[in-house]
Amino acid sequence: MSKEFIDHRFHITRRHFLGKVSLGLGSVALGSLLIPDLFSNSDEPLQTLGLPHFAPKAKRIIYLFQNGAPSQLESFDYKPMLNKMTGEELPASVRMGQRLTGMTSGQAKFPLVGSHFKFNQYGKSGAWVSEIFPNIAKVVDDICFIKSMHTEAINHDPALTFMQTGAQQGNRPSMGAWMSYGLGSENKNLPAYCVLLSRGRGNGQGVYSKLWTNGFLDSVHQGVQFSSSEERVLYLKDPEGRDRADRRKMLDNLAQLNDMNYKEFGDPEIQTRVQQYEMAFRMQTAVPELTDLSKEPDNIIKMYGADCLVPGTYAANCLLARKLSEAGVRFVQLYHQGWDQHGNMTGEMPLQAQDVDRATAALIMDLKQRGLLDETLVIWGGEFGRTNYCQGKFSAENYGRDHHPRAYTIWMAGGGVKPGITYGESDEFGYNIIRDPVHVNDFHATILHLMGLNHEQLTYKHLGRRYRLTDVAGKLVPGILA
Amino acid sequence: MATGFNRNHKITQEGGIIDEEYRVEYVSDRTNTFGKAFLALTFECAHCHDHKYDPISQKDYYRTFAFFNRVPEKGLVGDISLASLADPPRIKITSQEINDILTFINKKDTTPVEVMVMKDSTWKRPTYVLTRGVYDAHGEVVDIGLPSEILLFDSTVYGNNRLGLAKWLFDKNNPLTARVFVNRMWQEFFGRGLVKTSGDFGMQGEMPSHPQLLDWLAVDFREHGWDIKRLIKQIVTSSTYKQSSVASEQKRATDPDNILLARGPRTRLTAEGVRDLALASSGLLVTEVGGPSVKVYQPKGIWESSTSGRGVLARYVQDHGENLYRRGLYSFIKRTVPPPGMLVFDGSNRDQCEVNRMRTNTPLQALVLLNEPLMLEASRVFAERLMVEQSTPEEKVRKAFQSILCRQPKKEELALLLTYYEEEKVGFNQSPVKAKKYIEAGEYQHEKINDVISLAALMQVVQTIYNMDEAITKT
Repeated sequence: MSKEFIDHRFHITRRHFLGKVSLGLGSVALGSLLIPDLFSNSDEPLQTLGLPHFAPKAKRIIYLFQNGAPSQLESFDYKPMLNKMTGEELPASVRMGQRLTGMTSGQAKFPLVGSHFKFNQYGKSGAWVSEIFPNIAKVVDDICFIKSMHTEAINHDPALTFMQTGAQQGNRPSMGAWMSYGLGSENKNLPAYCVLLSRGRGNGQGVYSKLWTNGFLDSVHQGVQFSSSEERVLYLKDPEGRDRADRRKMLDNLAQLNDMNYKEFGDPEIQTRVQQYEMAFRMQTAVPELTDLSKEPDNIIKMYGADCLVPGTYAANCLLARKLSEAGVRFVQLYHQGWDQHGNMTGEMPLQAQDVDRATAALIMDLKQRGLLDETLVIWGGEFGRTNYCQGKFSAENYGRDHHPRAYTIWMAGGGVKPGITYGESDEFGYNIIRDPVHVNDFHATILHLMGLNHEQLTYKHLGRRYRLTDVAGKLVPGILA
Repeated sequence: MATGFNRNHKITQEGGIIDEEYRVEYVSDRTNTFGKAFLALTFECAHCHDHKYDPISQKDYYRTFAFFNRVPEKGLVGDISLASLADPPRIKITSQEINDILTFINKKDTTPVEVMVMKDSTWKRPTYVLTRGVYDAHGEVVDIGLPSEILLFDSTVYGNNRLGLAKWLFDKNNPLTARVFVNRMWQEFFGRGLVKTSGDFGMQGEMPSHPQLLDWLAVDFREHGWDIKRLIKQIVTSSTYKQSSVASEQKRATDPDNILLARGPRTRLTAEGVRDLALASSGLLVTEVGGPSVKVYQPKGIWESSTSGRGVLARYVQDHGENLYRRGLYSFIKRTVPPPGMLVFDGSNRDQCEVNRMRTNTPLQALVLLNEPLMLEASRVFAERLMVEQSTPEEKVRKAFQSILCRQPKKEELALLLTYYEEEKVGFNQSPVKAKKYIEAGEYQHEKINDVISLAALMQVVQTIYNMDEAITKT
């Protein structure tokens, strides 16, 4: 090898080492203070950064994703002006030439349409809630509504991918994967990032495993999907004819064989594999115990509604989310499908609301009564909002709404956000934001902040540059922090 | 027909999308893939601005983009329920053509097959530099071209189209193409390329560990007609590759990552490789080359619970018979919901071009190896085959060990496995029902074995060997 190349290699090593010293040691030292096992001879392999950057407000997240984009105008963003102007054309001064989806861009007219459902104010905070969410209405004083969310995408797949990964095109790690990478798991027997799916009765859009991808991060940060079948995590069940004792014996023999191998090759990956088999073994016991909802007391079942005993329903997933979160799962991601009301708003929206209303409110009350709401951040919302004008044939009685990225509503509760407030505001047409806009990147930056992570410092180098969940944007939203 | 590679990027069929936005996305995908796969350059950086480190200007990006911007295609083809498996432009291949010239294609039935291809339209679509990469922010108009720092592209020499691009790529003076490819092949076998950053030969990439070897391999590859088989033979028959991966304390200390190659590679098998190992060692493998993708065992409801229920791929219908035992590369991959067992072993979801997969080590991998139907079936079928043979338990265990790990067991290993075998026999004798259930694994035809107890005990031993770290590790 020529001298230049050897020199270059040493140079690289030195430069990299210095780079690590200047950037990294501070956080490494801090990390080791907070997590004593980090540099100890713990038998758990080190797979995360072991952060946080600073004291977190929330330790865990439960994200109740409403997939398909529930209408803000039929739920929480009350716009009486639309009722007054129902049937009238959307003023050009409001639309301001905004691009429309391929589904309504051909429409000759854009008649405004007001909510078919009545709104009332609730709680001390006086939050407006539509009549189809009577239970959420009871917990509004724990909720922080953000009525000024906006996104760059106007169609489901890119918008969902944007909400979940910070980029419209796939292949970036999802939010839960970033949390797992930065913070790791609180529970050695469970994955840090769990995913639960359910489907309502409304028009649905798919959800895809790429939404809970680890992207370019280590695959240990991949979201683990829990299914509603008997086997809650894929390949969790021991084979037919083999029980736990048999499996234990197999693993003991296997460990001895692997150990002989380690003595010969000295590859640390061998020891890691032995430990991973042990974690798998513990998961096989921990997951079925945890997912068994039949032993929950009656008052809890009543709170979440009888549906919570039917695996795969939104209610069951909410209860399961509480249990997983309580057991230390860092990020529990729910997806509830069926919120894509391009038509039949008055038929479908109440059914969708009925599926989620009770269990959502129950989750908040349940966390609160366990003293967990303070350290658990609950997020409710979809990938964008819906238009104030009617899609398809106009009728004030039954109508549809197309996708609307410019202003929509999501809400959060618990874990470090101000309870009982409304942040941001859309105009009286519910079309543009008039106060405190929150971009998807800002939303991500704020959530990371609540978890004790600086969104500009949580990075991973890939393809020649450092990537972040917020990529090159994102501003903290201090106005919602408690 | 090979241009299908350029056409089979991810494609959306979502109803409301804006046609041009996605058409531009497709062309960008092709441009980025071209940069990464053939030149190992991070072209995508120049999608929005001049590259920060490498000599690729934004204008260069869109000049390269222009080669791929002439396909008469749409961003949105239509309603998903009307969508075909091959969007235009496409070609139809008949059995006659396959018999006559395309003899390398394995097409089983007689109906013509449609495949997506690249095609230049007669109308020359103008290519603009897109300001900040936004699909409708048209800047100056550019013609085809390539970053001149690599090799000047003279369209009068190479030609004014994709054929010209191919000629430029394979020009004797192109410094990257051959190096990038041989490096990737090296990575396949050694787990690490001579240039570690096999997807980035730019300023942010690493320098080669053995630059003269890389150059020699690249020139040799080019001068022998870009013969991949020959290249692979050269690598695997080299004394470097044939070294043992057993490392002395001292070697491990001086070079823990084995950059200087003083020992053989030790890396985990790929997702497809894990499957292939189980199939090949147990005797289940169907060795047929080519043919349509196959739908292997997959837990129920994975596609169904995560699609809208529309389209031809809403439901997963598993194959049976021979299709269950084909190599991993033939497994059907639905981009939005890839086979979960493969993702667990770091298989790519085919969203974007990947030239280097991670090799992680996780509890979910343990669950797959312990409980996945194919792994159990391989253990069962292998045990049945051994039971049919007239041989002692020791000979059976030795044979299983040899087939799976490619070496004979050491004394202690053999002793442990034989003791385990005897103990399992005692255990199954106490509850024969368990033995009967355990040996049911998989759809593959069962051998008639009367001694169910011994079969089950042997199956357990074989399964244990499959779960050894060494089984899924190249040593």
